[in-house]
Amino acid sequence: MAKVAVMKLVETEPLHSAPRAAPTVRLSNITKVFSGVVALSDVSVDIHPGEVHAILGENGAGKSTLMNIISGVLQPEIGVIEFNGEVISPMTPERSAALGVSISYQHPAVLDDLSVLENLRVALPDRVFAAGDPAEIARAMLDDVGLHVPLNARADSLTVAQKHLLEIAKALATRPPVLILDEPTAALDQDATEMLFARIRSVVAQGTAVIYITHRLAELRQIAHRVTVLRDGQHAGGALVRDVTDDDLLAMIVGRSLASAFPPKSQEADPEINFTVKGLSGRKFHDVSFAVGRGQIIGIAGVEGNGQSGVMRALAGLEPWKGDVRLKGTSLSPAEVKAKSAYMPSDRHEEGIIADLTVRENATFSALDQFSNLGILSRRKEIGEVRKVFGSLSVKTPGLDAGILSLSGGNQQKVVMSRALMSRPGFILADEPTQGVDVGARFEIYRILREVSQSGTPVIVNSSDAAELEGLCDVVIVMSRGRVAETLRGDDVTEGRIVAAAVKAQSHVTGIGEATKAVKAATSGLRQFIQSDNATVVPLAAVVVLLGLYVFGQNANYLSAFNISNILLLATALGFIALGQTIALLMGGIDLSVGPLAGFLVVVASFFINDGQSPQTIALGFALMFLAALAVGTINGCLIRFANFTPIAATLAMYIGLQGMSFVLRDGPGGYINFAVMDTIGWKLGPLPVAFIVLVIVALLAEYVLRKRRLGWQFRAVGSHEESARRMGIRVTSVIIGGYIAVSLFTALGAVMLMVQIGVGDPAQGVNYTLASITAVVLGGTSLRGGRGTFVGTVMGAVLLTEVLNAVSFLGLSQTYQYVFQGSLILAAALIYSTARRQAGT
Amino acid sequence: MAQHTQTAGKASLDLDLRSFKPTRGFVTVVVSTLALLLVCVIFAPSAVSAGGLAGSLPFAAIIAIVGLGQMLVVQQGGFDLSLAGGVSLAVVITTHLSGGDDAQLFGAIGLAFVCAVVAGLVNGILVGVLRLNAIVATIGMNALLYGAVFAVSGGVPRITTPLMAEIAGGKIMGIPHSVLFALAIMLIVSFVLKKTVVGRRFEAIGANPAAAHAAGLNVRLYQAMAYVFAQLHYCVAGILISGITREPTAFQGDSLLLPSVAVVVLAGTSLLGGRGFPISTVIAAFFLNQLSQFALAVGVPFSAQTIIQALALVFGIGVYSLRWKQAATKRALKSKTEETDNV
Repeated sequence: MAKVAVMKLVETEPLHSAPRAAPTVRLSNITKVFSGVVALSDVSVDIHPGEVHAILGENGAGKSTLMNIISGVLQPEIGVIEFNGEVISPMTPERSAALGVSISYQHPAVLDDLSVLENLRVALPDRVFAAGDPAEIARAMLDDVGLHVPLNARADSLTVAQKHLLEIAKALATRPPVLILDEPTAALDQDATEMLFARIRSVVAQGTAVIYITHRLAELRQIAHRVTVLRDGQHAGGALVRDVTDDDLLAMIVGRSLASAFPPKSQEADPEINFTVKGLSGRKFHDVSFAVGRGQIIGIAGVEGNGQSGVMRALAGLEPWKGDVRLKGTSLSPAEVKAKSAYMPSDRHEEGIIADLTVRENATFSALDQFSNLGILSRRKEIGEVRKVFGSLSVKTPGLDAGILSLSGGNQQKVVMSRALMSRPGFILADEPTQGVDVGARFEIYRILREVSQSGTPVIVNSSDAAELEGLCDVVIVMSRGRVAETLRGDDVTEGRIVAAAVKAQSHVTGIGEATKAVKAATSGLRQFIQSDNATVVPLAAVVVLLGLYVFGQNANYLSAFNISNILLLATALGFIALGQTIALLMGGIDLSVGPLAGFLVVVASFFINDGQSPQTIALGFALMFLAALAVGTINGCLIRFANFTPIAATLAMYIGLQGMSFVLRDGPGGYINFAVMDTIGWKLGPLPVAFIVLVIVALLAEYVLRKRRLGWQFRAVGSHEESARRMGIRVTSVIIGGYIAVSLFTALGAVMLMVQIGVGDPAQGVNYTLASITAVVLGGTSLRGGRGTFVGTVMGAVLLTEVLNAVSFLGLSQTYQYVFQGSLILAAALIYSTARRQAGT
Repeated sequence: MAQHTQTAGKASLDLDLRSFKPTRGFVTVVVSTLALLLVCVIFAPSAVSAGGLAGSLPFAAIIAIVGLGQMLVVQQGGFDLSLAGGVSLAVVITTHLSGGDDAQLFGAIGLAFVCAVVAGLVNGILVGVLRLNAIVATIGMNALLYGAVFAVSGGVPRITTPLMAEIAGGKIMGIPHSVLFALAIMLIVSFVLKKTVVGRRFEAIGANPAAAHAAGLNVRLYQAMAYVFAQLHYCVAGILISGITREPTAFQGDSLLLPSVAVVVLAGTSLLGGRGFPISTVIAAFFLNQLSQFALAVGVPFSAQTIIQALALVFGIGVYSLRWKQAATKRALKSKTEETDNV
């Protein structure tokens, strides 16, 4: 309560820009604990309408946690959230959205596979676009933030800065009463930043409460009215921006108590230099130079995302770089850099440890050569070395063959260090070495790094914790916007100097952002089409026609009405099943069970849809086909979403099961299908089967839904990036289960056609449609990575595949060619499409 | 520390037993198999009689061998649909190119291995280097292999040479040769995976390619080689089939694709990649085969057997799916970004 009182004191002063009003959001005494670690402790903040409220603090100070509590993603253990004076409990993402909280994330929730317009429409409620032409409304939104890109451009062609602007445009579009901006300018250049500030001022003038999370003091002065500083999850101070000096703010940011001690630093004034980096440039950093002396530890500092990790990864040989790297006087080639370096990744769970392996295996997998003779391992040598290194690093483990996850974070990190040391590296790169490590183990890690450095192996440490760098390093380079902003040595290596250099750096991105440039001026309809998902339709159509003409030249019967309708009828069954498969692939999954399902449904039909059955029985037969498909789709979807099966595993089990069911119902062909039914479904207009026309219409409808309706965007969003889709408020699980049901229902349509083709219930039929449907979909141009696809292309793929198989017999070729053509076709298509996409992406 | 020393000290005593340390998959498979055998003894003694086993074991051996090949690919997070084509090609090369003549048998077998290596390399390059989706690449390769099958055989089955029938179908002390082949291959795969530098790295890369990449290992090379060694397994299986079956068809491999995946999954290898369990895979192959024998013996129609297999598969996946969940969500998050910097 004491802290609330402090805030009240500050508020008694009149505000310069906004009239005095009740706070829009009031957080009182918020405490949030993550598995024992306190992320926020007794924090109280008032957010007023018509004001920009900056939240300032170092990495890990609790800024994101605070934001997630306001947006309802996290629930606090203690504390009260009030909106316009009303207590909200509990706060959920839905509730927060309903109250009008709008967020621009630091990592934009932009879906690469969707167009700019589709990104806006899938993320925003329909009412935003209800007033008129959606394209015009979207255009106005983008103009608002100065984003000049074609609405139908795919989001993956946008620069990082443009994605940020798109994210901001989304956040502003709903005219929210509360707007949260998380480091919005991190990727923006000067002009874009100015423009953004102008926008923020105008929404604030309309009464919006803005929460602005930043690291940069300079920006704070330009835009914010009020500031709250967090430090170690505690409220370190709050004030009106005009009343507080930079030095006051810095004092609030730094000065957190560090509970662990550090080993003594290098005493030598002018040590021999054993590692130098000159003019190192890469994707996210430019012209970085530093030198490490024997016994020195060099630190890389800066606000997260300013190129530090890029430098580390380049020196580890994981990213391309230019420049000069010298170890003990010799210049290293990129391959040598990769071989000589030992990299301790910052993301321990992702890149540091291998969760499935034991402690011993984790420690040795990069150093195995040393314990082997002619490639065969000596277990004794391996265990001996591991025990030796574990002893000197005092790794505490229940046993060498315990799972790595049974160790504490600090001991896991020591295992990663053991691996680095055992490979006898030329230099060591420690990226955030103490992240997620308890206090006791921290000191051990500092001690080990110091010992390694003293033994003559250069050590480079990247850390976002300035106090840690102060205690550990002899030299610190501070990075900002990919460049070295300052190099600190000796007594200058203090937390205060490091933080000051990082947050005061004013330079804006140059040459990286290019946000305000009107990108890709060449926006002719043709180019847009070539980059669209449907681009494959034209070459496919050309191939279909050319192949048809060629075969016709060889055998005039090929283009007879009979053969054309035969091809199209065959293509219709495959086409429907492939349409279903397209949905599975769009969602980033796959459905192997479509073939056996089609066969099974025909077998089911063969018990009801016979000659001499009453119309009711026949109708019942059709109903059962679709009901069975519905059940199969539901089971597939539920196995995948609720029982954690991979799509392959779930649909493979279903594949085997359905095949068995077919054989249980019939052990051989039997149950002839009603002739009248077959005649009706196989009805033709000239050479064109009506069923094929229906297929084309269904495909066009599906294509329309995919491009223009929310449902279609949702399928693509889920396949494009599940996590972003979830952040946008899409109900991922329902979409995916619904998707697999749709796959099965399309397969049921295909089964009706298959029934007409074979005319009898045959348990051995249908299985081939699984692979054929995948082939057709890939030929059509749908990506197996999810998010991109085309129903029209799929139909073309089905036609082409059927045509090729049919042509082989007309050309008098052996079955060999049937397979060779099929195989070459799918491989060629996959290679061409993936190359084309890769080039479009760069 | 004391505890740690104790464990490490014990390690030197039971060096070789260590690699057989029971895992969840091993226990599951062994317990299920023993239970099945018990049920067989009580309800269907004919399925476990010497004659019954001698008739069915060669097929279990074939499933075991292709399962070991599929396991290598699955360990790298892949999926090999070209198994069917690979097996069938080896079958027809052995039966047709030898032309029933024992003298030409080994030439034909040599050619079969060459074809397997080529097919595996192409798969490996497509998936490992050109980053094509494993399913698409191996569907295409499967079709090409079947093209070769028809080029060689014209689709007509042919009787194999007597020598091949003796090599694959013979018995030593009542044990069919094919079983011995399967056991030998299992021992080789186990040894390479668990006791050599390349094998240990292979498993590490499968379990976490990002970490292996960060540690400087050549991830793509190992991923590509998985397909080559898988094809070699399929090739051996195909050659053995040509000796066991009197007149093998050109589609002999088709019926092996699903069992191969099933035994890999039942043995506990995650479809997302990671550690492989060769011994469990072989036991799972025996289990799956015995399940069919049992069903047959108690009079379940042949047709219903696949349903039993499907249920066994669902059960198997269910046992492990809990552990997969974390890995799956993690990979889903990074799958999109990993692509470009995975040099």
